Amino acid sequence: MRIPLSLIAALALCLPLVAQAATNVNERHPLGAGGRVEISNIAGKVTVRGWDRNDVALTGSMADGLTLKQDKSSNRVRWEVEYPRGRSNGGATLELRVPRSVEVQLGTVSADIDVADIDVRRLQANSVSGSITAAGRSGETTLNTVSGGIRSQLQTARLDARTVSGQLLAGGGASGEVAAESVSGRVNVNAGRIQRLAVETVSGSLDVSATGMAPGGKVTMQTVSGSVALKLPANVSAQLNVKTFSGGIQSDAGQVEKPRYGPGRSLDARLGSGDGDISINAHSGSVRVSLGR
Amino acid sequence: MNPHDSEHDELTARLRALPAERVPPARVWQGIAAQLPAQAQVHPPAVAVATLPTRRRRERWPLRIGLGLAAALALLMVVPTPVPHTPAPSLLQRQADAMAGEYQQAIAALPSADVTDAWRPALYELDASADNIRAAIAENPRSRYLLGQLQRTYALRLELTQQAVLSAGLPT
Repeated sequence: MRIPLSLIAALALCLPLVAQAATNVNERHPLGAGGRVEISNIAGKVTVRGWDRNDVALTGSMADGLTLKQDKSSNRVRWEVEYPRGRSNGGATLELRVPRSVEVQLGTVSADIDVADIDVRRLQANSVSGSITAAGRSGETTLNTVSGGIRSQLQTARLDARTVSGQLLAGGGASGEVAAESVSGRVNVNAGRIQRLAVETVSGSLDVSATGMAPGGKVTMQTVSGSVALKLPANVSAQLNVKTFSGGIQSDAGQVEKPRYGPGRSLDARLGSGDGDISINAHSGSVRVSLGR
Repeated sequence: MNPHDSEHDELTARLRALPAERVPPARVWQGIAAQLPAQAQVHPPAVAVATLPTRRRRERWPLRIGLGLAAALALLMVVPTPVPHTPAPSLLQRQADAMAGEYQQAIAALPSADVTDAWRPALYELDASADNIRAAIAENPRSRYLLGQLQRTYALRLELTQQAVLSAGLPT
């Protein structure tokens, strides 16, 4: 019996596809307001979208050799992609649909996290080298990555975002309490009306603006060698205190003072009736404070 | 009263009456000058005898100087020499040093040899940042916020090292 050469060639071409055969994922679980959904996936991608149903759905595909571990109860569901020890042939690409007012916890290593169109009570996303993108509404938000970037357009009353070397961009209406921290990555925050804002880097630059400060609000910005830029509305009411060791200070309000002997510059100014507190500390970075229209 | 006492008093009075300084007449100096070369020529052996110990003394001087230098060198090596004056580390610097030591010890205790490449750049970044903050503290040893930054940096380094160790062996 002779096997046509073309058939052998076709089978040979299909072999890698068989070896990397993906496993489809299609899971669903009822979950009402106040419930919690957790996803753990090392590599690939995790996408989260909101919908108007009272259940969560997980769809997507996993590379060959990966399995999905489930842990469900009436108000909690956890899906974890389990990887074989050693190197795998690929990751898992997952899409999660979540109802309103639930808690969402996402954990990855290199997988990117993409969240949009949600309206949840709490969002927590952690990654190592994956990037995190988030938009929608969340009561409380925690976004952590190590070397990946963070881009948030979430409307949230409490944002806590941290990265080591990735860039951190937070806009879209973060207000209330905002904490943004980076080591070497740039931090850019465009906040709404803030009650408490704490931004910190070691060498990354800080660029922060806010549409207003709540009465008695507090802004703290610290860096070692990064530059600092703060933009606030002209009618802000706060006591402004800026200190640098070797960096320069530019401000639309107040006078920069230098000690007669030794290094350092400082600026103290009362903005409006001085209700809140704005404190900026930079070792060698320069500081710019702008008061807008 | 002793008769010797009266003689003594008289002698004392006469001695006090003598001029305090007395310049020898010029001819005395001329005589001395004329005799000096003549003495050298007349008594050559005496001169030779007189110069022999002097030469020996002179020959001993390099030896003495050498021994003195060696002793001084030995003293310098044994006795701690005063270092150039540097200001004592501030309390904050000592806190930073102690903190760094504690964290470095804790981090070194973790089996971090198998940490995957996904973690290494961040761990390196944190180490470099900790060094930068400590350098900034050395420049500005009264800045408490720098100490806070150092503490957070080391805490993050320890936390991430623990996570990296736990995830070692997992696929990336």
